[in-house]
Amino acid sequence: MPSADVVVIGAGLAGLTAAIAAAESGARVLVLAKGHAATHWGPGGIDVAGIPAASTPRDGIHRLAGLPGHPYAFLGDDVAAALEWIRPHLAAEGVDYAGDLDTPHQLVPTSIGGTRRAAILPAGQAAALSPWAAGERLVICGIAGFKDFWPEAIAASLTRERIWEGGNRPASVTPVSVALPGLAARHNLNALQIARRFDDPAWRTTAIEALARAIASVPGSGGRVALPAVLGIREHAAVLAAARDRFPAAPFEMPLVPPSLPGMRLYAALRAALIRAGGRVQIGEMIERVEHDGRRVTAVVAAAAARTYTVRTGALVIATGGIAGGGLVAERDGRLTEPLLGLPVEAPPADQWLAVDAFDPAGHPLEKAGIRTDAELRPVAADGASLFDNVRVAGSLLAGHRYIRERCGDGVALTSGRRAARSLTAVPAGHAAEPGSE
Amino acid sequence: MTIAELIMEASEEFVGYSADECLKCNVCLTVCPVARVTDLFPGPKYVGPQAQRFRTGRAQPVQVPGIPFALSPDVTVDYCSGCGWCTSVCPAGVKVAEMNSQSRARMKAGKRPKLRDWGLGQTDLVGQVGVLFSPISNWALANRPIRAIMETTVGIHRAAPFPKFGRRTLQSTWKRRQKRRGTTVIPGPDKAVVYFHGCSANYYEQHVADAAIEILKRNGFETIIPPQVCCGLPLISNGIYTEARQRAHKNLDVLVRYARQGYRIIGTSTSCTHTIKAEYREMLDIHDDDATVVANATWDICEFLLDLHEQGKLDTAFGRLDEDLPYHAPCQLRSHGIGLPAMELFALVPGLRAADMDHDCCGIAGTYGMKKEKYPIGMAVGAPLFEKIRASGATEAACDSETCRWQIEKATGTRTRHPIEILLQAYRAGDAVGAEKRGPLAPAGT
Repeated sequence: MPSADVVVIGAGLAGLTAAIAAAESGARVLVLAKGHAATHWGPGGIDVAGIPAASTPRDGIHRLAGLPGHPYAFLGDDVAAALEWIRPHLAAEGVDYAGDLDTPHQLVPTSIGGTRRAAILPAGQAAALSPWAAGERLVICGIAGFKDFWPEAIAASLTRERIWEGGNRPASVTPVSVALPGLAARHNLNALQIARRFDDPAWRTTAIEALARAIASVPGSGGRVALPAVLGIREHAAVLAAARDRFPAAPFEMPLVPPSLPGMRLYAALRAALIRAGGRVQIGEMIERVEHDGRRVTAVVAAAAARTYTVRTGALVIATGGIAGGGLVAERDGRLTEPLLGLPVEAPPADQWLAVDAFDPAGHPLEKAGIRTDAELRPVAADGASLFDNVRVAGSLLAGHRYIRERCGDGVALTSGRRAARSLTAVPAGHAAEPGSE
Repeated sequence: MTIAELIMEASEEFVGYSADECLKCNVCLTVCPVARVTDLFPGPKYVGPQAQRFRTGRAQPVQVPGIPFALSPDVTVDYCSGCGWCTSVCPAGVKVAEMNSQSRARMKAGKRPKLRDWGLGQTDLVGQVGVLFSPISNWALANRPIRAIMETTVGIHRAAPFPKFGRRTLQSTWKRRQKRRGTTVIPGPDKAVVYFHGCSANYYEQHVADAAIEILKRNGFETIIPPQVCCGLPLISNGIYTEARQRAHKNLDVLVRYARQGYRIIGTSTSCTHTIKAEYREMLDIHDDDATVVANATWDICEFLLDLHEQGKLDTAFGRLDEDLPYHAPCQLRSHGIGLPAMELFALVPGLRAADMDHDCCGIAGTYGMKKEKYPIGMAVGAPLFEKIRASGATEAACDSETCRWQIEKATGTRTRHPIEILLQAYRAGDAVGAEKRGPLAPAGT
């Protein structure tokens, strides 16, 4: 029957992490989400605290934890454990991550010719993590006819010193492009089509050889080669192994515009881990309301054709994201609301929504808006009193962090998701409040 | 009313305006089963919300001399199978699949439909004629040379799955049965339901109807089978909206009389029930009160049985079925937004090891996979599912939608049944055990 011990709303990193952790403890878990987004839009790494001042993620966590109201103030000590906990789940699905909290932050080149600070990346991007040796070259290898990756433009940009913030960088950046067999598409050639071709062992062999020859044709030796993130979906590990074996330079993928293949691989691995743990996911569920009896949520009601779909639940994790994900809604009258339970939103008043400088390094006042919780992720009122016994909030909906600017969104999602689930499922069975026991 | 309010109202009303919400993130492309296997279809975003800017409102795009098909900016929309996955995963709520269906209809409007597409839409006519001459029609459909000719002339693929026509229609069988029983008083809406059998149960699979009627009876509901026509979905899928609307109104006129009295309308075909629940209003733009009343009264049979169970009213005297049962959830079921009720019901049957195959689409998509040019696409879409079912070693599989069942059965050779047929089997296993326990001399009525 449509009932669950734990319903998780949202299928991003926070939601799926919470669901896996809850399912692991034996709870019957159902994830309801309106669609795919966060994972499919992201570059697939795990950003923990990539702020410019931080030498490592661990250093970054300490710095962020000291900011007023930052979720790392209560989650920070738990990030390492969460990371080591999720790693084997992902590895079991063939998605390995390199780096940990003590890996020095490295400026990793991007597919628009910029750089971003990273320390924990999927295997396909791992070769970008080590510092550049003296004289080491970077080859940017594109695929002819693929319009989401322009080797010349990327190389031209990456040759500029300021892109690397004046620090460690490759000695040279050289573009090369190669036509791969059978890729003449009827319509726009997209990343998914190429990735699917790479999944086919026969085509892969030919393509890897063609790429290897093109890379070898670039003067110089060794170094690294950046490729668009199209190296397979299901067979990504095999494609990567073949590339490492055949290429004259260490290959790494550059994530592209959405849909992001590294993000899709992460989603697929998380979903598979959840199903293996006995949980379920239903996508396409627009939640209409959440029913509660006093301090306890009792059911989640989703829109359905001609009627609604009700799932009774013992507990709820809200991982619906921030403004972009729809977890927060901006009303015309200048309020930010949380649409599911009407939780109090910590946000600046409407007259402070407009920043003078769009790129102010101090950030935008709205970035930190979200739901305030206690250390167990229970949503709280302005006076700090918790509002619901069986509700937890996880991910970018949490107040106090700037998940993009501070590059801490994945660390917060992973750690809060796991803690939310553990906090809910650790409640002793006798405490699972009978109606009217208050 | 302000312009902003007008736009808000329009966007709630019209599928097309949901294109305004599109972020161009292309998440829809990642789940499109058709784009997964062929580049004939560029993907849901390109032909849907992206092309929609040229189709806004009710106006037609500017006709450019010398460029054919200017009615729609992208003719590849015809390769959309209508599975609806794009709509399900869109984080912005864009009705991509619905948009594609409407633009296909617009592309075909004012032109005479291809004989094949028209014919595939005429499930009633095909069914009537097929049943009338069933020995001949079944022979013809199993005859290779005839199927080859059909492929060349009409464009229906020679290997496309076709079910066998029944000896008579469910409607005529039912009328005879009712006649034999004499006039009976129709019980009230708490003791009877209306059965929307759809074309499959009427012309091809009476055993599904029989299973539904028996299961409903066991659970305290008499069945009412009013006259009805095809729900219209095959016409909608083939872009023939005018005729689809005629069918819809015929059905609504009959069904609304029951729905207004409080009767629920139960269907065994997830695609028919979804059409009545959602597409009459959303796709065919029928926005009168009748459409809403009927939609609200319509239930998929597994959804209905699960609801009975929720209320503690389902007869759960299921006997043991010791078997592996691969289950495929049809695309149309996902569009209902009711989870997988069949899987929840299977969990009530002792010994039954039902496994969700977790595959996007079997490839048939109603009549899509029957067409000559689309058959290979459909088979490629379903290939991983067929492989999983074959690898399971199971002797039968289950699926709620008829065309999917035919496709799976044809492709895998594994007998594929409606979930309620499995449930009926479980009830009968329960009866057998019950009879054994009671023994021959047990007093009646205990």
